[in-house]
Amino acid sequence: MARTLIVGAGQAGRRCAEALRDLDPEAEILLLGEEAHPPYDRPPLSKAVLLGTDPGNGLFVRSPQFYAEKRITLRTGTCVEALDLAAKQVVTTVGERIGYDSLVLATGARARPLPVPGADDPRVHLLRTLEDAQALRAALVAKPRLAVIGGGLIGLEVAASARQLGCAVVVLEAADRLMARCVPPAISEMSAALHRGHGVELHLGCALRRITPRAEGLLLEAGDLEVEADLAVIGIGGIANIALAEAAGLAVQDGILTDGCGRTSQPDVYAAGEVARFPHPFFGRTVRLEAWQVAQNQPAAVARAICGEARPYDEIPWHWTDQFDWNLQVFGTPEPEMELVQRPAEGGRLTALSVDAAGRARGALVLNNGREATPLRRLIAAGKALDLALLRDPTVPLRQFL
Amino acid sequence: MSEWHRVASEADLSLEAPLGVRVGDVQIAVVKLEDGIYAINDVCTHEFALLSEGFCEEGKLECPLHQACFDVRTGKVLNEPAEVDVATYPVKVENGAVFVQVP
Ligand SMILES: Cc1cc2nc3c(=O)[nH]c(=O)nc-3n(C[C@H](O)[C@H](O)[C@H](O)COP(=O)(O)OP(=O)(O)OC[C@H]3O[C@@H](n4cnc5c(N)ncnc54)[C@H](O)[C@@H]3O)c2cc1C
Ligand code: FES
Repeated sequence: MARTLIVGAGQAGRRCAEALRDLDPEAEILLLGEEAHPPYDRPPLSKAVLLGTDPGNGLFVRSPQFYAEKRITLRTGTCVEALDLAAKQVVTTVGERIGYDSLVLATGARARPLPVPGADDPRVHLLRTLEDAQALRAALVAKPRLAVIGGGLIGLEVAASARQLGCAVVVLEAADRLMARCVPPAISEMSAALHRGHGVELHLGCALRRITPRAEGLLLEAGDLEVEADLAVIGIGGIANIALAEAAGLAVQDGILTDGCGRTSQPDVYAAGEVARFPHPFFGRTVRLEAWQVAQNQPAAVARAICGEARPYDEIPWHWTDQFDWNLQVFGTPEPEMELVQRPAEGGRLTALSVDAAGRARGALVLNNGREATPLRRLIAAGKALDLALLRDPTVPLRQFL
Repeated sequence: MSEWHRVASEADLSLEAPLGVRVGDVQIAVVKLEDGIYAINDVCTHEFALLSEGFCEEGKLECPLHQACFDVRTGKVLNEPAEVDVATYPVKVENGAVFVQVP
């Protein structure tokens, strides 16, 4: 019986194990994770968990019994320290050696720390794990003055949650607009208006230089600005956990390099989820995607490859963010330099499409308008030139372009 | 006791265009498909979203928030992030009025 060993029991590790079980009832599946919990999805960490609302099935998607039923051997609290590819074994931090036939690295990413003086103060939080979220929630309920460093997705979600808990919130963003890595400028502006409208103080073009602990609170110096806060959260993105792979001589480059099916530079070694950098036909280059979607579905391609079927992962990229009463979803690549065709709908809803010079939709966004998600994805996938005059008319339904 | 409640008139429903209705505290998505009219609980089992605000096609209703899909005829969840099915309710049509039976 062939054994697949999966290192990293996050969303991607779980999905790889499940997909493999569906394909191969015989496979021996071992899922090792450093964290104390069974696999969980991270999106609720910056939203429901901070707010203290019930994340429903959003957090622990599977019950502990599920793993037993599926004969997936889940070992939490187990950290892999080294890979011995020649012996086809991994070595844990307690020196245990575990053999494999196929090895999947699903080690994800960690929160990027900010290399400024004072960032190691215990009142400066990062957010990646359930423990991080619980610690932050515990601190936020006292309604501290909060400074959020980074106006990206996670920073803004934290800002929105903290504001809803009654904290005074300041966001310091180094770039000149919010969510600059994933939305076009017009949407950044709407987002700024949303946050300001809810009483968040926003400072753009404002890079943090130093944090100085004070008797009461923290002093943050950013640009010409001095901000006092009781608590700070740093949300400036993630760093892929590639150390194991790199030390074992796998090809890495801000991520573990794989083909479209998750196969690394070494035979029988795969990478799944957010840690993988792979060629994506939609982009026409290699990408490392930091989103729920890739952790959910790319591991199925890995499981297929393990079973001998090479069918690459090629979904149109998608991610979402929930901030205040906004549900914003982004599809494809809405590049800032492309024309953004806005199609407002009733109730402040919006659909927007980024079209390239040839008139093809390359990216799209929906704001509280999830009903159009699937038609948009299909439009992007079809990749044909659209009649822009018609597209600009929001009364013309999207299906007319399909 | 299960009772029949009038929730819409047949003329309000067009094919695969879900209608959100409320019976007491229960939120219900009423959906007309080619083979009849169906009613399922309108609240996604993942987080909070009204399925009637989602996209419907081929008997599947997609959550507008994170795109879990549900089978309109059976209430079965078809893909994650949701894991739990939604309730279904019996539907009858009398004299052009649509009734849903809610426990
Ligand atoms: C706060 C937050 C909010 C988010 N919100 C959204 C959202 O709204 N929408 C969206 O699309 N995406 C969102 N994301 C992104 C999404 O959650 C991630 O892309 C996803 O978690 C990636 O899953 P993964 O399994 O690849 O990696 P991870 O979730 O990072 O899992 C990797 C696991 O491997 C373990 N591990 C690492 N090294 C070792 C080792 N050597 N030995 C054993 N175990 C190891 C780690 O402890 C971890 O548990 C959010 C992310 C965060 C952090
Ligand atoms: S609320 Fe429906 S999929 Fe998340």
